[in-house]
Amino acid sequence: MKAKKNRLIILVGIAYLATSIYDPKLSLEALKVTGSYLREMLEVMPAIFVLSSLITIWVHREVIIRNFGGNSGLRGKLASLLLGSVSAGPIYAAFPLTLSLLKKGASIGNIVIMISSWAVIKVPMLFVEAKFLGIKFAVSRYLLTVPCILLMGVLCDKLLTREEVLEATKDEEDNLKTRILEALPGYNCGTCGFRDCNECAKAIALGEATREVCKPGGEDVGQKIESLMNASYK
Amino acid sequence: MNISTILLLGGTILALGCSFYKDKKRTEESMKMAWGLFLKTAGEIIGILALIGLFLTLVPQSSIKVLLGGPSSLLSGLYGALIGTITILPAFVAFPLAGSLVQKGAHLIAVAAFLTTLTMVGLVTMPIEIEHFGKKFAIVRNVASFLAALLIAGGMVIFL
Repeated sequence: MKAKKNRLIILVGIAYLATSIYDPKLSLEALKVTGSYLREMLEVMPAIFVLSSLITIWVHREVIIRNFGGNSGLRGKLASLLLGSVSAGPIYAAFPLTLSLLKKGASIGNIVIMISSWAVIKVPMLFVEAKFLGIKFAVSRYLLTVPCILLMGVLCDKLLTREEVLEATKDEEDNLKTRILEALPGYNCGTCGFRDCNECAKAIALGEATREVCKPGGEDVGQKIESLMNASYK
Repeated sequence: MNISTILLLGGTILALGCSFYKDKKRTEESMKMAWGLFLKTAGEIIGILALIGLFLTLVPQSSIKVLLGGPSSLLSGLYGALIGTITILPAFVAFPLAGSLVQKGAHLIAVAAFLTTLTMVGLVTMPIEIEHFGKKFAIVRNVASFLAALLIAGGMVIFL
């Protein structure tokens, strides 16, 4: 994963270098455009990250399952639509937040609805669109988009399972789970509310349980898990 | 800053305040987690944004205009959807551009397809999406969005 990220940065660096050799003015122009995107990103991303983490730590699984899970029905779909449309920021800002909801039990379809409405349905944007393209155009596009997004949610629920998507996101967490399991005392006592230490480690790695969940392990184990979690983010 | 950004910032600060009031340690924990999320994604996002910036500078807006104003509404609708797929434009650029396209005689269907894929389908942001949800999810969602955009554009015929 790390090498891949560096590759992108290097690639972009080379592209910019090539452009500046060809025409320095062009690459300066490109930097200016990039700068405006960066500002947009900095406006929303810190809040998105903080909010995603707060959801992971505070919100109970049952709450998310009830409101956005597989059995939440039409109400869940409409709630997802609403949540997406009041959210701020470009589409990539939707990913961390919706992922934390998926891990907490939201259904794939509702996640897709949230991401899509995040991208397309914005009330302030409706006014801008109406100003430049006419109110009829803007309103008809919105009226067509809402059912399409709901349809996409239903479709994606059929095409993708929660398990396979979580599987694809977990390889890093899986290693983390193993290391957390090693740090736990291994009594399998169930005081934490999970069946055994393995389940408990999995939940901690996924961010579904806090690191002090293991009472018999006490402060000592808590600190070990803490340092493992911190190391995994780097 | 628009209203939803202000809402987001206000909501986050409020949530953070409540969290801090209720449990300092868990708040500290979530801040660490947030920092981890930042480290995990920031590099990639910055790289992709820089790439988009370069792309938009090298491919001028006039070439978008040429493709969207073609003689066939069906073909230009498809072009619109494709161009929207591969580009990212901030809304304050996209809507004035779309408005000037219509004035120059571009098909409304093409413009609707363009605006919809522009926001919903993200070919360039796909690496970020894959990083979060995996390949299959990203491909299924983007293909479904693309088809939905064509459907929306086609449906515009009824209204306009």
